[in-house]
Amino acid sequence: MLKIENLHAGVEDKAILKGLNLSIKPGEMHAIMGRNGSGKSTLANVITGREGYNVSKGDVLFNGESILDWSPEARSLAGIFMSFQYPVVIPGVNNTYFLKAALNAKRKHAGEKGLDAAGFLKLIKEKLKNVDMDSKYLLRAVNDGFSGGEKKRNEILQMLTLEPTLAILDETDSGLDIDALKIVAEGLNNFRSADRSFLVITHYQRLLKYIDPDFVHVLIEGQIVKSGGKELAQELEEKGYSWLES
Amino acid sequence: MNVSHFQTEFDKMMNRDYFSDKVHPLRQDAFSKFLEIGLPTKKWEDWRFTNLSSISKGNFRISEIQDAPKGDLDISPYKLKDIDTIVIYNGHYQETLSSIPSGVQLLSGLDYLEKTNSEFNSPEHSPFDLLNTAFMDSGMSIVVDSNVDVEKPIRMLFISSGLESLMVTPRIHIDLGESSSVTFIEHHVGNSTSFFQNESVFVILGQNAQLNHIRIQSNSVSTANMAKIQVEQNADSRYTFFQFADGSRLGRLNIHAELKGEGADCSLNGLALSNDSQHLDNHIIMDHQVPHCTSSQNFKSVLQDHSSGVFNGRTIVREGAQKTDSNQSNKNLLLSKNALINSNPQLEIYADDVKCAHGSTTGALDKDALFYLRSRGLDMLSAKALMVRGFATELLDLVKHDGIRDFITDRFDTWLLENTTA
Repeated sequence: MLKIENLHAGVEDKAILKGLNLSIKPGEMHAIMGRNGSGKSTLANVITGREGYNVSKGDVLFNGESILDWSPEARSLAGIFMSFQYPVVIPGVNNTYFLKAALNAKRKHAGEKGLDAAGFLKLIKEKLKNVDMDSKYLLRAVNDGFSGGEKKRNEILQMLTLEPTLAILDETDSGLDIDALKIVAEGLNNFRSADRSFLVITHYQRLLKYIDPDFVHVLIEGQIVKSGGKELAQELEEKGYSWLES
Repeated sequence: MNVSHFQTEFDKMMNRDYFSDKVHPLRQDAFSKFLEIGLPTKKWEDWRFTNLSSISKGNFRISEIQDAPKGDLDISPYKLKDIDTIVIYNGHYQETLSSIPSGVQLLSGLDYLEKTNSEFNSPEHSPFDLLNTAFMDSGMSIVVDSNVDVEKPIRMLFISSGLESLMVTPRIHIDLGESSSVTFIEHHVGNSTSFFQNESVFVILGQNAQLNHIRIQSNSVSTANMAKIQVEQNADSRYTFFQFADGSRLGRLNIHAELKGEGADCSLNGLALSNDSQHLDNHIIMDHQVPHCTSSQNFKSVLQDHSSGVFNGRTIVREGAQKTDSNQSNKNLLLSKNALINSNPQLEIYADDVKCAHGSTTGALDKDALFYLRSRGLDMLSAKALMVRGFATELLDLVKHDGIRDFITDRFDTWLLENTTA
């Protein structure tokens, strides 16, 4: 589903990713762990097409096609979703209106009819239950006045609504209290399926208590230096990162 | 227009046999004062950023009977449900198209002045105020008796039309008696190719009276529109103002609100949308003269192309005006690198127990927010439009009357569609 080949990328003149390789097959959940500054968020931003990142070498293939020239919206419509590390506040833009516009953009892209207000409300109320969110959040502006945990749950709500085939979770667990973490993890677990893949970026091992990644990768200075199963996360918890640093 | 040109037009005005000569001394006095000071120049502090060349270089004449419509007018594009409309076309009242509101006294501006001449003290602060008194030729005045709540909103629909360079000078007085209330809408539209409208509105609110004032400034983009709103508020009165401006080449709104009675509340709001070479200004003076009054100013501008604008907001809290609670906010969204806004929020406080806040922000659309929306599948145009809409929503939502809000929102959406570029 996702294939990253020898990816070199950075911001302005600063090289951040230095030859990263990663392959994710349908149904797999991969976790990427690493310290702050190791390049985790750069990876997420390059995959989703944020402006300001230069790719100097390598490629990112999604379902066999290079997506580096695609607009962020084209990547989203193709099935890529990122849960933001820092969800953006958009004053005045109603959360329901935004979600409906996003869902209908996706449906139209897929050749389906857009949902009307009633149809959307029915669908979203169902999804709200999955993340234990009150429907009052639908009436508020996007992330405006939301607590940290509410913002992250709102990201998961968007993921459940847009039903991507590749979900990237950028530090979704950071700053979450344990109850919110459990809700987010449960949302993720219920959302797993044979044709859907996950890339979970975190620097805490804690989230991995509640989800079951198939692979854990360690990112240091822009390269994956070690890959393994879930037991690798446990090892990192005990030994830290320094034994992997040259 | 140079001075001799103004003089020629003024002489014509004074010789009109169908205008009452009782206000002539008032006109003459104002015109003499105008001649002494002339039109503002860029050296005047309040006029530094407003280019008046379309007026100073224009060649306007006062509107005559022959400038009134020859046949039937079609006002259906401006249809609003559940309101009474008074139609004024190139400065001429259109009786057959108007519906007269009930529960109020409706007088021509001149009749009003004639009645109150002896006591009327015209606060004239600028050359345009003086010109208004000298040339006033249209508009209506509304007097509401004490304890009357006027149910239906009253609209004055000003239409400018034709190829002639006309100068039209509406004069409106709104007097609300104690504990009365009304919604008043000024609606400025037209297709005129050259037009100078210089309007003055005088609002006096009796104790506990409430005026909800909406101004839709959508005149054609080749016109110059100067507006002055002078507000005098007595105790416990409430004045709520909202302007939606997307019209005229040069549009300048001046509001001078005087809070003279304790417990008065004044809320001034505006949304200006400009493109091409439009220039739209908001100049506000909020004058707290007594204790326990509240006021707010919330003005936003969205500027496209090389359009420009000014926000000049001055909140004055006079000595003794304790417990004043006032805030002022100006936010500007620049959709183009060539757009320009001058924002100048000012506070002058001479009392020591007050709460005053002010703030001003100007910027382009937030890139992070744009990326966020696009990462959810919205294309660039939709994402931008959604954000501009979000920027304006709180102001559009201030309009409580459904029909009027829908009308303004439709205009806003049309503007958005035409002015959002990827």
